Amino acid sequence: MYLPYVMYLGFFLLAIGWVWGLGFAPQDAIQGNSYRIIFLHVPASIFAQLIYFFMAVCALMHLVWRVKLAAYLIKSAAPVGVIITFIALFSGSIWGIPTWGTWWQWDARITSTLILFIMYLGILTLHSSFSNLEKADRLMSILVVVGVVNIPIIKKSVDWWSTLHQPASITISEAPSIDSSMLYPLLVSISGMGLTLIALGILISRLYIFTREKNKKWVQNYE
Amino acid sequence: MFNLLFAEAFKLRHRLRAWLGPLLIMVLVLIAFPLSIDVSQYDLNKFYFSIIVISLLMISFLATESIFSEDYEDGSLEQIYLEEKDFYKVALTKISIYVFFIGIPMSLIGSVFSFANGVSADELPKIFVVLLFSTLILFNLFAFGSALSLNKGAMLGVLVSLPLTLPVIVLLGRAVRTIQYGEGFLEVLALLLGVGLILMAIMPLIISATLKTHLE
Repeated sequence: MYLPYVMYLGFFLLAIGWVWGLGFAPQDAIQGNSYRIIFLHVPASIFAQLIYFFMAVCALMHLVWRVKLAAYLIKSAAPVGVIITFIALFSGSIWGIPTWGTWWQWDARITSTLILFIMYLGILTLHSSFSNLEKADRLMSILVVVGVVNIPIIKKSVDWWSTLHQPASITISEAPSIDSSMLYPLLVSISGMGLTLIALGILISRLYIFTREKNKKWVQNYE
Repeated sequence: MFNLLFAEAFKLRHRLRAWLGPLLIMVLVLIAFPLSIDVSQYDLNKFYFSIIVISLLMISFLATESIFSEDYEDGSLEQIYLEEKDFYKVALTKISIYVFFIGIPMSLIGSVFSFANGVSADELPKIFVVLLFSTLILFNLFAFGSALSLNKGAMLGVLVSLPLTLPVIVLLGRAVRTIQYGEGFLEVLALLLGVGLILMAIMPLIISATLKTHLE
């Protein structure tokens, strides 16, 4: 019922964040205007990891309590994860040209994010390989739980290895190292992208649940 | 447990293709590599490790490709499931036997070929230990991939387990650098061993759950 409102609010915040960031936030002292891609790159990177984390929580719920809905949510979240991880990699690659002088660097953060992208695709491929969907759900959940080991590796890659990628500018435990004139539009962009992805995820999972449960009475009676 | 160990060792000994095949392929790959480049232009011993690491990765997968599938096809897994309802011991035994019969020879082959390509004899024990600990990790991860894709072919197994092995490759790269530059070797070795032992304890549990899912 509230789905359209969540989506519109997401779009609205995303538009505000991007217009504010691209048009009104000041230039960076070193990177000039090229830094403005953070308003797309940073939210995409954050949600690439968060979606996987969400999938891992759902996978645990499915494996431990056999919650059927949790498996449906994993299956619905994975394509969103593929798209958002691709956006994070692609936008990072574009940002690499003016800052590092190269499209691609075999850097720990970038490589571990690429692994995450392949993991998402692997999860979808694994699920589609089995005609018994209940079995596919369980195997997919096991893989998701095992693959979650990649998330701390991505997160800590900039600390554990000497890399070209800069450390996180926004952390939960410390004050942000980014100026507030850039921080606020970034936070608005992150919120906007979050709401948009939540709405998109609910939309996809709704469709998926209807497809999986199409022979059930409640779906046939659903108006 | 010892009966299981002997049974698995006996089974593997009779599957010549399963243990000798990967070793011969590793030898062939390592022979082919120096032939494909002009050695006079390169300092071969500096990057010969890379080909050993990559061949170790691929051969580990080849070696564990049929670790459970043959038992699945001949009904042994189903029988074990009916008797014990658990595959922890089977998975642990199989991986240990594979590391013993394939991992150790693979590590030896890798060390010998490093020596043949200009690496000093003093460094050979270090290379052997690094390769051995790496096979311990890789065999666990690929056995998991193999269990996931039990009857769905090798491609799926590689696709799901290969991304999990890439952090290990990073670790191996670091180990190789410490061998070359002589600092921090023991720390990296301890890390490799730690990861290997953790996987050895946890992975049979995960594999057991995976196999049970296939048979339920």
